[in-house]
Amino acid sequence: MPTLNPEVPPTASTESKPKVVVGFVCERSIPIQEMIDQQKALHDDPSVKIVILPCSGMVKPSQMELALAQGADATFVCGCAMGDCHYRTGNIMIKERIEGERNPKLRKSTDRTKVGMFFFTMKDKRPFLEALAKFKSLAIKS
Amino acid sequence: MYRKFLSLLKNITVSFEKMINFLTTQEHNPLYFHGAIPLYIFWFLIFSGILLWMYYIPTLERAWSSVNYISALPIIQKGTVSLADPASGIPYGSIIRGIHRYGAAGMMIATILHMLRVYFTDRHRSWRWFPWITGVALLVLVLFVGITGYLLVWDNRAYALTVWTQSFIAAIPLIGASLSNFFIAGDVITDYTLIRFFFFHVGGAALIFVLMWTHFIRLKYPVVTPSRSTNFLVLGFILVAAGAIPAINITQELIAKYPSLSDQAAYIASDAPANIGSLVSNVRYDVWYMFPYYLIEKLGITGAWWVLGVSTILLIVAPFYPKDRRDNIAEVIEAKCTGCTFCSLDCPFEAITMQDRAPGSKFKLIAVVQEARCSECGICVGACPFQAIELPNMDSKAIDGDVLALLKQGV
Repeated sequence: MPTLNPEVPPTASTESKPKVVVGFVCERSIPIQEMIDQQKALHDDPSVKIVILPCSGMVKPSQMELALAQGADATFVCGCAMGDCHYRTGNIMIKERIEGERNPKLRKSTDRTKVGMFFFTMKDKRPFLEALAKFKSLAIKS
Repeated sequence: MYRKFLSLLKNITVSFEKMINFLTTQEHNPLYFHGAIPLYIFWFLIFSGILLWMYYIPTLERAWSSVNYISALPIIQKGTVSLADPASGIPYGSIIRGIHRYGAAGMMIATILHMLRVYFTDRHRSWRWFPWITGVALLVLVLFVGITGYLLVWDNRAYALTVWTQSFIAAIPLIGASLSNFFIAGDVITDYTLIRFFFFHVGGAALIFVLMWTHFIRLKYPVVTPSRSTNFLVLGFILVAAGAIPAINITQELIAKYPSLSDQAAYIASDAPANIGSLVSNVRYDVWYMFPYYLIEKLGITGAWWVLGVSTILLIVAPFYPKDRRDNIAEVIEAKCTGCTFCSLDCPFEAITMQDRAPGSKFKLIAVVQEARCSECGICVGACPFQAIELPNMDSKAIDGDVLALLKQGV
């Protein structure tokens, strides 16, 4: 079988740069449209850049690897509450892919401390921001 | 307008569930197992039904007394429950009957909650029409099986319900009279009538399994088992109800002996044995299963047909309105597909099948999207390591490009 995630480019240079977090967010989980500016950065934390998807299950682990390889200091996915995915299983799928239980898997060599998973409802804006801040503080060691 | 209404319902539902999440966590929120709970209860109905069946005798003479024999014990005695004295009944029989009786109520409640929850969260429309329509059929079937269960006891109420059902069916043009005769297995009520009811009850229950299969047929990995905590919660409700309010046949002798029973007679028990030709005037309606008869009493047979018929038609057409624009259906890029099956395994709505490629092809299989079933969710895109299946309006390269652009943009 061909190598999984074949299109991930080599790691970017390690020169000093501002801390950036890339998040892949399901449009039906937290109210993400009202939480970001035109640059796709979170109002509450402009260092967090958001890619909005129809479902968290659409995220490829290779895209999270791409973000890290290209300079993101951390990356995360946010899906619907567990048990309440609008498309039934999207959040379970991405969780299992990141945990290495379902293909395509996140590479073993990926630093797990820099990969976050959140599962919240559309009414959970505040709990999401709190969880994100906690994740960021652990993932990005200054 | 209608879309706004659906959106409002979803907002209310999610707000309510957020409160439950606060109490139970997401993992144990019973509302997240709304579809599995009716099936879970159904298993209790099957097993308790088999136990009741061992003693039930479907004849006019003995149906009531056989049910009475099953459930005469325990009886409430000075506020306590006596489980001894097998000589006058089956030990724990009323508990088993209670599980069957309250489980049946629980199943209807859980089924209606499931349906409301699906509707309130706008998960009944478009590509989900098939589970919704089979769900409507299941609701009608559960109602039918429940009603026939009340007929099997063959008390005064069962006789009244039988007579009304006959009239209700007979009102159908052309075939009504024949169907009415089919319902009671002849022109008049005989022993065959109860055998027919027994067949309806058990055969209907078997048909529920078949319909459940069709209900699940377009769902990958259907949730058929609630969480352990939800299991205990549901089982607890049924057992507490069965223990606290024993399901027994009420007779004048019993009430004379245990006056406290008369307080509960309004809602727990079967009546005195049926007396053919003598209709009781004040039938006690079970809220969950006998609302059609309430409608018959209040609106007449034609009115009841109208209300039930229009309600059913509205439920059937619900998934087809309002229509959404469907312009982002997954597409397979033939040249890249290796036939690995990942997308097919992950598609939550069974919209992707694997088909044989032409002889001589590099790979044996190719993924094929059944457009009518596709939800445009993109889970298949996430599952494909070869970028061989994409949503036309948002392909993987565009997402990769977004990631790179965001990183280039910096803080």
